[in-house]
Amino acid sequence: MFVAPLLALVAVWAVVVPLFDVNPRIFPSVASVANAALDTIRDGSLFRHIGASLLRVGLGTVIGVVTAVPLGIAMGVSPAISSFLTPLFRFFSVLAGIAWIPIATLWFGYGFGAIVFVIFNAVFFVVAYNTLLGVSTIPMTIRNAAASLGAGRWVMLTEVLLPGALPNIVTGVRTGLGFAWRGLIAAEMIATNVGLGYMLFVARDFYRTEVIVLGMIVIGLLWLLIDRLLLVPLERATIERWGLVRRT
Amino acid sequence: MKTLSLKNLQKTYFDPYAGSQVTAVHDVSLDVEQGEFVSVVGPSGCGKTTILNMIAGFIPYSGGEILLDGIAVNGPGPDRGVVFQSFALFPWKTVLDNVSFGPKIRGVPKAERDRIAREYLELAGLSHAADRYPNELSGGMQQRVGVVRALANNPAVLLMDEPFASVDAQTRMTLQEELTRIWQQRKPTVIFITHDVPEAVFLANRVVVLSKGRVLDQIKVDLPRPRVWDDLMQDETFKRLSSQVLQMVRSA
Ligand SMILES: Nc1ncnc2c1ncn2[C@@H]1O[C@H](COP(=O)(O)OP(=O)(O)OP(=O)(O)O)[C@@H](O)[C@H]1O
Ligand SMILES: [Mg+2]
Repeated sequence: MFVAPLLALVAVWAVVVPLFDVNPRIFPSVASVANAALDTIRDGSLFRHIGASLLRVGLGTVIGVVTAVPLGIAMGVSPAISSFLTPLFRFFSVLAGIAWIPIATLWFGYGFGAIVFVIFNAVFFVVAYNTLLGVSTIPMTIRNAAASLGAGRWVMLTEVLLPGALPNIVTGVRTGLGFAWRGLIAAEMIATNVGLGYMLFVARDFYRTEVIVLGMIVIGLLWLLIDRLLLVPLERATIERWGLVRRT
Repeated sequence: MKTLSLKNLQKTYFDPYAGSQVTAVHDVSLDVEQGEFVSVVGPSGCGKTTILNMIAGFIPYSGGEILLDGIAVNGPGPDRGVVFQSFALFPWKTVLDNVSFGPKIRGVPKAERDRIAREYLELAGLSHAADRYPNELSGGMQQRVGVVRALANNPAVLLMDEPFASVDAQTRMTLQEELTRIWQQRKPTVIFITHDVPEAVFLANRVVVLSKGRVLDQIKVDLPRPRVWDDLMQDETFKRLSSQVLQMVRSA
């Protein structure tokens, strides 16, 4: 589905660069980028960078979601706590990701820890805030219905609050991962010696525009793949089936 | 044998905007027999929903007592099944899982609770919809699920607050006939709140008329069962009882 517009873009690129005889230090040709792709695939460096980046995103996201969802639910259950904390979470949602890189490197040093922290941070606040929102939008009658069927605290949590908040949780994860992905690239430019961000940054020092553009393409494609292959199917399998989706 | 007993029940709300107390229920006493079908009618704002919510345990009461089989009610519980006007089905559960939810919480094994749920779905003519999700059903079908979900949990009393108010007139009559049929088969104790006087008379053994937070009057309904609209619409006793109740409500 999303292949055609991307191919169109490549076609424009393939025409424009030779047409205006663009200096390769300014922008590379399609062929040189394809070559760079083959080279970095052959020597294994591309997959090393991708692997490092995905591991960091995966770990930071899992930690973020696992901590944010219970906290979001706890806050959503109590209107007093949720109205008190909502502005704070909005505030931190805006800051999520990139703005934390400097302080993360102070706390964790340059490397894995700082980057995972930035990812975690980007995911955590957005998911917690959305979970809180999700729980507080579950109609009181649904909670009353569960209670009068005999649901105690645990059943209420697992069978009502969690599934009821799931549409918002998925939205939160999608938004949070978007922040995290950008934060990751930025953090890798500063705080490490492997990963897609690092690949871009080093290539710049050698005027390797074909590697820079290759990196940008990979970053964009990976995000589309994560979204289409992971997040969208998750939404389909649950929320749309339940008729809970608020169409955007 | 009486099962539910309200004694001098009273409820005062605090209205935070006016900064004052509002007494919604002044003094209501009512005994309900096991297996009885009681309809409660009364003008808007007379406290019907408030009483039902107190019995369900959704809101605390300010005075008096609610006893269920002699034990004071405190908070919601599976001994009081509730059917909501807005259906309140779990959108993330299939129809079958909605109906088997109560037994599941009680720890009934999967095979057994599915059997129970299917039996009730059959009773409501919904066997074909067992694997659908609530959003795929019409309003009338959703409320049938709401009713059997409450029944499948085998509550001591079934509480219904205008359950058929949001479906069309045609469907409503069908649902009313189905409810009397199911009631006859299972004999649950029911408290049924409604605005609709003919509906109240059609369903009940007894109609209670409320006015301004008090019981204004009660009337026995000894119409034969099974009750179907085709018969009752022309029935003299039914017409007489309905107009009697209507007059009480209008004087309330
Ligand atoms: N949460 C609340 N806070 C303050 N006052 C309330 C609250 N709920 C109900 N009341 C008031 O209590 C009175 C009884 O309300 P209730 O909803 O029980 O009436 P009802 O008989 O169910 O009316 P209807 O037929 O319109 O559903 C009304 O005057 C209403 O304004
Ligand atoms: Mg009401």
